[in-house]
Amino acid sequence: MNRRGPSLIVLLAVGLVSCSPSHPDRIVVGSKNFTESFILGELIAQQIEAHTSLKVERRFYLAGTYISQQAILAGRIDIYPEYTGTALTAILKEGAHGDSAAVHQRVKSEYERRFGLTLGPALGFNDTFAMEIRGEDARRLNVRTLTQAAQFSPLWRAGFGYEFMERPDGYRGLVATYGLHFAEQPRIMDLGLLARALKNRQIDFAGGNATDGLIPALDLVVLQDDRHYFPPYEAVPVIREQTVREHPEIARVLGDLANEISDEEMQRMNYAVDGQHRDTQDVVREFLRAKKLAP
Amino acid sequence: MNVLQFIVQNRAQFFDLTGEHLWLVGWSTLLAMVVGIPLGILIAHRPRLSNPVLGSANIVQAIPGLALFGFLLPVPWLGARSDRMAILALTLYALLPIIRNTYTGIRGVDPAALEAGRGMGLTDLQLLFQVELPLAVSVILSGVRIAIVISVGLATIAAAIGAGGLGEFIFRGLAMVDNRVILAGAIPAAILALLADFGVGWLERRLRPR
Amino acid sequence: MQPQIAAPAIEFRDVSYRVGTTQVLAGLNLRVARGETLVLLGRSGSGKTTTLKLVNRLVLPTAGEILVNGASNERTDVIRLRRGIGYVIQEVGLFPHFTVARNIGLVPKIEGWCADRTLSRVEELLQLVGLPAEIASRYPHQLSGGQRQRVGVARALAANPEILLMDEPFGALDPLTRDDLQREFLLLQQRLNKTVVFVTHDLREALRLGSRIALMEAGKLVTVLSPQEFVKSTDPWAAAYVRAFGDGVESAANRGAS
Repeated sequence: MNRRGPSLIVLLAVGLVSCSPSHPDRIVVGSKNFTESFILGELIAQQIEAHTSLKVERRFYLAGTYISQQAILAGRIDIYPEYTGTALTAILKEGAHGDSAAVHQRVKSEYERRFGLTLGPALGFNDTFAMEIRGEDARRLNVRTLTQAAQFSPLWRAGFGYEFMERPDGYRGLVATYGLHFAEQPRIMDLGLLARALKNRQIDFAGGNATDGLIPALDLVVLQDDRHYFPPYEAVPVIREQTVREHPEIARVLGDLANEISDEEMQRMNYAVDGQHRDTQDVVREFLRAKKLAP
Repeated sequence: MNVLQFIVQNRAQFFDLTGEHLWLVGWSTLLAMVVGIPLGILIAHRPRLSNPVLGSANIVQAIPGLALFGFLLPVPWLGARSDRMAILALTLYALLPIIRNTYTGIRGVDPAALEAGRGMGLTDLQLLFQVELPLAVSVILSGVRIAIVISVGLATIAAAIGAGGLGEFIFRGLAMVDNRVILAGAIPAAILALLADFGVGWLERRLRPR
Repeated sequence: MQPQIAAPAIEFRDVSYRVGTTQVLAGLNLRVARGETLVLLGRSGSGKTTTLKLVNRLVLPTAGEILVNGASNERTDVIRLRRGIGYVIQEVGLFPHFTVARNIGLVPKIEGWCADRTLSRVEELLQLVGLPAEIASRYPHQLSGGQRQRVGVARALAANPEILLMDEPFGALDPLTRDDLQREFLLLQQRLNKTVVFVTHDLREALRLGSRIALMEAGKLVTVLSPQEFVKSTDPWAAAYVRAFGDGVESAANRGAS
């Protein structure tokens, strides 16, 4: 009686402790919590399912860059789609410097050195931050670039996503680079709501993404980053080196996806899901078939 | 029921998340016992230390969970991985009930039995392992039970900093404004807490000295 | 007052004990002969329990030394010292989570006796203290007060110590049970011949059980007398005690041991 109690507890504790996050028989594909990320995650997942014998589990809706990074470091996910610029500034905490290839290389080598993670080849589009205004305002004021827009900024109310406000490559740097002076503190809202808020005149200046599906649909104009403030944001799959070692066929699958998605194609897929409310899985399946990537 | 369907449809992920949740709770409870029980024994034998030790544990309890995670972020090694932070935070929260109950349990041992034991020539260690701990084990377990129940609840917040667990469903459901998903995380977490409560409670009753 | 005793089992040499500003014991000189039952008699606060606890080092003196079997008890390893001395207290202090058998057999067990030897010793002791064999598997909370104290005595005797320290062991029992246990104590002493130091505030008990009575008051040893000498003593404290206890004291003195 005296011995049984404590040993039961130890057994229980050991049992709990051994529920470690590893999952040797499946691949877990993650994504962040916005439409484009789901689409890319779904794309990777479907490709792996179609071209390998591996079982794929989807773990989408990870609430942001930090959480996705933690999840892949802990081995809870094996792959997720990231952007080179985000990796550089938000995770590696380095300064943004222009050229796409250099940024890709820098991120890849640092990820391999520090995290045991590696990058697949870029998927083909650059989803940089897009500073948007309404088309009618752009035409009326004859504003095409951010430098031109600066003079009108005191008249405008701005809106940004939460991460943009906090990231070193986000709001603070933008305002400093272009001398923007917004009338009030910007409103912070969910990325998915920015475009509509802009259209409905709740805000006049939105910090969205270049491949937002609603940009053409709602007649929004993306102001040119003529001072090259934003680093390139090429979409790349981030993958655990251990996963690649254990399942080299994944490298091949990711290689097949290299450069397959243009800016416009991404925008169209985003619109299909955001604007037309179609199912993500269907949209991705269609795309893969059209590109003859799916069997 | 919709929630059940959702769980069944996503059972692989559900099991993953539940496993992660248990992993967080398991490690933190284990660490809290390894640190807390000896500390409780120490302050039971040296009552002058009891105030500072119990007081410190109390202060930690007063820090809101999410804030504690935030404090740990800049710490090297710990702050680099959210599961490490989560486990440390959960451990710190589990310490107070475990230390306090160990203290109470050991202080509650019949002083006459201890005096007789000492007079008979039992060493301090023999007294501890043969008399004090067996008599205090039920009360100590009660502290462990409280700690586990607190941890199961707190671990749901750990998902907010990326440590995984059932909280991930809850936060996702909130973001998607989808009740099924919220409940798919909240209900199992509540069930886990109840199971722990009953299970350890049963053990407590069986080990209670006559 | 104290006859020369060859090789005393226990000896107090100029022992003092002070706690804070209170002088609990002062200049105690006392010898306990082998095989005798020395009763420490006094009222609360007289220092008799402290004197007892100095023997097995539950208390350490502020001055002076205590010799057990000729050797200073501070130089002996305290655990070995205590294992060789039986200790019985008023509250008994049985381990509630052990059966009677495990309670009694604890010291033998930690001394490394094998299970069989321990078992037979437990049976032997139960018989010795007048308890039925089947009580061995019961738990303390199932026993009466008298049974518990008998187990306490059995436990103290388990490893066959030469010295027994008893601190008002029968004080919490009803008069009938107390009477039984006192009688059995006398029988036990006749058989075993242990050196016993027995603390009590009850003169009748002292007269009945003791071979000598050491009267203590306010931390000082007043006098050490045999029971017969005590009842006739002209010492003011002793006389006060005799008066306080009234009739029947003389017969108690005569029913006693030596």
